Amino acid sequence: MWFISDENFKTFADEISKEYTLYFPVLKETRYNWKKYQKDDEISLDGFRTDLPAKYFFYATQEELRQKEKTPFAVLGMRACDLEGLKLLKKIYLDEPQDPYFRDENLIITADCTDCGENCFCTVLGKKPYAEDGFDLNFSRTDGGFFVQTGTQKGNALIEKLKELFIKATEEHKYSVSRRREEILKKVSEKNNNQEIVLKELGEKIEKNREVFEEFSKTCVSCSACTNICPACFCFFLSEGAKGKIRYADSCQFKGYARVAGGANPRKELAPRFKHRFLCKFSFRPQMQEYTGCTGCGRCIDGCQGKIDFKEVILKVYET
Amino acid sequence: MKPDPYKPVKAEILDVRDETPNIKTFVLKPEIPIPFKTGQFIQFTVFGEGEAPFTPSSSHFETEKFEVTIMKAGRVTEKIHGLKKGDAVGIRGPLGKGYPLNEFEGKEVLILGGGVGMAPLRSLLLTLLHEKEKYKRIVLLYGAKTPDDIVYKDEFSNWRKMGAEIFQSVDRCETGKWQGKTGVVTCLFDEVKLNPEQGVAIVCGPPIMMKFGTLKLIEIGYKPQNIFLSMEKNMSCGIGKCGHCALGKFFVCKDGPVFNYSEIKDIEGIWE
Ligand SMILES: Cc1cc2nc3c(=O)[nH]c(=O)nc-3n(C[C@H](O)[C@H](O)[C@H](O)COP(=O)(O)OP(=O)(O)OC[C@H]3O[C@@H](n4cnc5c(N)ncnc54)[C@H](O)[C@@H]3O)c2cc1C
Ligand code: SF4
Ligand code: FES
Repeated sequence: MWFISDENFKTFADEISKEYTLYFPVLKETRYNWKKYQKDDEISLDGFRTDLPAKYFFYATQEELRQKEKTPFAVLGMRACDLEGLKLLKKIYLDEPQDPYFRDENLIITADCTDCGENCFCTVLGKKPYAEDGFDLNFSRTDGGFFVQTGTQKGNALIEKLKELFIKATEEHKYSVSRRREEILKKVSEKNNNQEIVLKELGEKIEKNREVFEEFSKTCVSCSACTNICPACFCFFLSEGAKGKIRYADSCQFKGYARVAGGANPRKELAPRFKHRFLCKFSFRPQMQEYTGCTGCGRCIDGCQGKIDFKEVILKVYET
Repeated sequence: MKPDPYKPVKAEILDVRDETPNIKTFVLKPEIPIPFKTGQFIQFTVFGEGEAPFTPSSSHFETEKFEVTIMKAGRVTEKIHGLKKGDAVGIRGPLGKGYPLNEFEGKEVLILGGGVGMAPLRSLLLTLLHEKEKYKRIVLLYGAKTPDDIVYKDEFSNWRKMGAEIFQSVDRCETGKWQGKTGVVTCLFDEVKLNPEQGVAIVCGPPIMMKFGTLKLIEIGYKPQNIFLSMEKNMSCGIGKCGHCALGKFFVCKDGPVFNYSEIKDIEGIWE
């Protein structure tokens, strides 16, 4: 475990950007967005998740599937919720046969949240606003700099390479970080009235429930904002056309998504289609891929054109 | 670069046979052999136009070339029907899991087919007949809408000679040129003596036939785990990534397309 001072942190970003295209979050008014790093950009790792998930660094919303040069990229300041989503995406895209277009040559540097967005609810799912595994490096804000943990060989090698920028972390650093983590966990929990659910039970309850989905789906306009903005949704459409194979982001919320030739469609009605998203996230994916398809980032609540509160839906199902 | 599972292998159309007014069989020779197991499927690319999934209809013991039997059902299949001998197409595969032949060994095998659903079943039948001593008995019940809709018309007598017991029906016949049974395929159960407790049954056909065929099999005593269904869902990637083919927790393209009934019977809306 290491410590990097605020001063050295600037050099660190410069060094990383020599090898990787570097993306980091910037604050615009009250929200965060990704930006490509340029020399002299100010990087603060404070705050909470960005509007757009980090997943679109790993694959594009629309992309021609032909061999091309891959430029390695680094994401500095990814939050725990995006990293959780990435675990499922990797399970899908990198399971055999591997998707050769998934951009896996990268550097993932997560950062602890220091604040909480309006709709964040990771704690309701028993998840935390800081990452504990799955990163190359994790940065935790502390006095005068960051407490740095390594999660992979790649992370270790990077510290080794830039070792003049880091010092060994002290007990004091460690203590200060655990205090900060307690605080942010408390903040997010309190924002969510300290509610917490057992994920396995939720999956089973979703399977049995019909009414809640019928009620909440009434205002759904099948726009796909929720699935596009989700850090764990992975669906796409592989099209064959004049340019060969093109992969487009797709959504189970579109009416034609599951239609087969002859017109049969298992989810042509709105309510079953709406419910499918919840089933997929809390029942199917945990059973088959071992990861929940929801990370509690709350982006789907921000983005819903039908003003549907995803958290309210799962809590209502959970309570009935 | 890692191998690209989205990139089709080029194949040449060696021959095209008309089966019915809207079903054709294409004989394909891929540049690199595609060693499939019966029941697995392939993605058929019409370059620049589209892609659709089909199950090879030939025996898996034939490896240099294979056949697909395709019904005209929409945009891509319409394009496929326009293809001629000598044209180049693209094939991705083999995809998914085929029939678990080892579970059929030593048993009475009942094959229940309807319409173009006979395509994967022809592959199965030919594969089984190739090693018919491994199976106790091979019975085929096949139904089509009208006599004109029967696929592989000229092959049935040959399959009989090779050792299959075959019973056929048509839903209706206006021309009077049909001597056999008239009625939906399940009426054929009255024609044949079966041993359901020890048997396996394989079903493929239109959703309504799959549904009533399966329920009938259960009714006469087949065990759910001994009934094998080829499920059709919308497909895109064919390799368990795009999500389109979801059937409950399964991706049909990867976990199927062949399932035994006990695996999927509790999934809501499986016949839709
Ligand atoms: C495992 C499996 C095996 C099958 N085996 C057989 C068989 O042996 N014989 C047979 O006749 N039928 C078979 N089918 C059914 C066959 O796949 C459909 O009839 C066929 O997909 C219809 O395609 P269409 O474009 O003509 O129909 P449409 O109704 O026009 O389109 C159906 C779907 O095709 C896809 N599609 C359309 N355009 C494109 C494009 N440009 N690029 C990529 N995808 C596109 C879309 O997902 C669309 O929803 C099988 C289906 C499955 C799932
Ligand atoms: S964002 Fe809201 S309205 Fe749009 S598809 Fe999702 S649930 Fe429906
Ligand atoms: S067709 Fe893409 S996941 Fe099955």
